[in-house]
Amino acid sequence: MATKQSTLRSVKRLNRFGALKTRFGAFFVDWALWGYVAYEIVYLLNRYWYTEIHFYGRLTVPAWGWPIVIIGTLELAAISHAFANSIGLSLFGLTVLSQDYKYPTGIQRLRRYLWWHVSLLSLPITLFSSDRKNKLLHDRMSDTGMFRIKDVKDEMPVTTPHAWYKTYRGMTGILLIALTIWVGWLVTQISLSALIDRAPKTAYMWKALVTPDFTHMFALDPELAVNANPDLPASIFAGLLQSLFMALLATALGGVVAFPLSFLGARNMMGYSPMGWVVYWLMRGFFNIVRSIESLLWGIVFAIWVGFGPFAGVLALSVHTIAALGKLYSEQVEGIDPGPLEAIRAAGGNRLQVILYGVIPQIVPSFLAFTLYRWDINLRMATVISLVGGGGIGRLLFYYKGQVGRLDNAWNQVAAVIAVIVVVVWFLDYLSGRVREKIN
Amino acid sequence: MDEQLVIEHLSKVYERGEVLALNDVSFTVKKGEFLVVIGLSGSGKSTLLRCINRLIEPTAGKVFFEGVDVTAASSRELLRIRRKMGMIFQQFNLVKRSSVLTNVLAGRLGYVNPWLSVIHKFPREDIELAFKNLDRVAIRDQAYKRADELSGGQQQRVGIARALMQEPDLLMADEPVSALDPATSHSVMKYLEQMNQEDGVTVITSLHFLSLARRYGTRILALKDGEIVFEGLPSEIDEARFKEIYGDEAEHVEVS
Ligand SMILES: Nc1ncnc2c1ncn2[C@@H]1O[C@H](COP(=O)(O)OP(=O)(O)OP(=O)(O)O)[C@@H](O)[C@H]1O
Ligand SMILES: [Mg+2]
Repeated sequence: MATKQSTLRSVKRLNRFGALKTRFGAFFVDWALWGYVAYEIVYLLNRYWYTEIHFYGRLTVPAWGWPIVIIGTLELAAISHAFANSIGLSLFGLTVLSQDYKYPTGIQRLRRYLWWHVSLLSLPITLFSSDRKNKLLHDRMSDTGMFRIKDVKDEMPVTTPHAWYKTYRGMTGILLIALTIWVGWLVTQISLSALIDRAPKTAYMWKALVTPDFTHMFALDPELAVNANPDLPASIFAGLLQSLFMALLATALGGVVAFPLSFLGARNMMGYSPMGWVVYWLMRGFFNIVRSIESLLWGIVFAIWVGFGPFAGVLALSVHTIAALGKLYSEQVEGIDPGPLEAIRAAGGNRLQVILYGVIPQIVPSFLAFTLYRWDINLRMATVISLVGGGGIGRLLFYYKGQVGRLDNAWNQVAAVIAVIVVVVWFLDYLSGRVREKIN
Repeated sequence: MDEQLVIEHLSKVYERGEVLALNDVSFTVKKGEFLVVIGLSGSGKSTLLRCINRLIEPTAGKVFFEGVDVTAASSRELLRIRRKMGMIFQQFNLVKRSSVLTNVLAGRLGYVNPWLSVIHKFPREDIELAFKNLDRVAIRDQAYKRADELSGGQQQRVGIARALMQEPDLLMADEPVSALDPATSHSVMKYLEQMNQEDGVTVITSLHFLSLARRYGTRILALKDGEIVFEGLPSEIDEARFKEIYGDEAEHVEVS
């Protein structure tokens, strides 16, 4: 009986590799958090030293300072590990208990903390000397151990929980959030005085914005140097059409290319041969990299490549659409029910038939919904892509804004363009939402 | 030569998890038999059935179907062989969003011209056959409904109609009634029995309940941990055999 009990316990203690991995993970999280705190303190010191204390000069960490920072953060992490349920420990679901599953005494914790230094300094030896139960040197010397909470739930002492803000976790959490807001405030140069003091200056702009000037909704604006700027839409309506068609074409083009690619990027379609893995990872990599480059950035590339104008915009939107839809599509393909595929294969259907009769009927609705959703995004994008030379209604928006100071009613014209964009985007958003509801 | 299916030393190892799911299994099935495979969950029933038509690639051993070596068949030959082996599944495996008719016609894909199937065009005879088979399982009136609008029992009947489209010589069923209530179970099993007795289709089915196996099977094969632990007539399974197959703590559960 006794042996059975003790084998049970030794199984419960984290197994060799799993244990050390989670322990290191938890420690690393705490170390990284203290490193973050150290960075913020240095930033704040630097900031106030520079602006308040030393009028010139800049606090830089001297060469000998870095070891101090590293050692200091290591010590803090070790202390929070030994004396409290640190954030790292809780993230990994670990806890430190004594060998008889009680909370360690203060002396034990102190011994654990001190011996930890020896463990760390002789790290390779420590690793190889960890015994079958995965006790490291400082575990043994303090008669404590690191346990996975879910394994020792039943043996753990029951205590009344403290209010969250009294726990170590709660206090560190508050400290981290406060520091983040403080430093973030400084880094992003938030200035309430600017926000308030300069508000009156915008009054004339607001007035113009609520009195849009629709004279050039359909009529050609004589002010527009149409001949000098062949890429300027002739009227607001013409610009709108351009944006609408850009979005349509980019979505159609992107969808048509993404459709076949999404099968190559779906785990369950590619099989488990080495070739399958290679194609799958290539496809996934392509989707992820291309997707993380925004349409606006692609616009820069294509404006140089094919020149300013809506064509560059269509290409930019299409490329981003291929990657974005490709990823969404392939996730849908991966989520299908494999049962029908099996049934069709069992009936002697070939690969193509499996896709046509088993896969496609399952994915069509969600593909349509995603495509519509993407059209929505593309339309929004098509209204601003001209920032980087991609054409569309935005071209007029930025043109009129450039005329502020030269034309009296420039802001009113800007307002008209914005009003049109808002109405159209809102309407299509509503429409595609309704259609998507229908599909599902 | 009335041995329709010959299984020789069939083994399957799943690399993932290193499970030996089938361990040197050999048996033969005669034409017209109704063979029931029983065994605990995880004993390898599904693996065995899927190795026969190579939905799962066996690790070792051979399968002969009507004298043809299935395990050695090229992928093109395999499609031909599979046409003659109907299969129905525990979870029905219908395309839920497609119509009942489309699901049934999918059973015919092994026969139709692959290029015509691309445009979802089936020969008139096949469509007539589909209605005939729907008639047989008494759900002709549901033909244009979406498959997921049907009850479980009806869905399994669609599965049977789909298998019938193959005009199979062998019908394999992997726990065809496990997702159904007892009364519906019998109505589905009766269709299998009918195919077996009227059309002379050989049936191999795995079943969870011994009572169902006794009622419908002409022969029983019991698996345990991937090995055959019993092969014989339903009447030969006594209390001792039962305990051997299902373990000492098992109790009889009747499905009436
Ligand atoms: N794809 C797979 N990968 C790894 N192991 C598998 C896989 N499929 C099945 N196994 C394992 O193979 C063994 C046999 O499984 P199988 O599904 O054939 O059993 P079964 O008798 O059909 O069980 P059930 O009654 O639950 O359907 C089980 O131990 C299972 O865990
Ligand atoms: Mg099974």
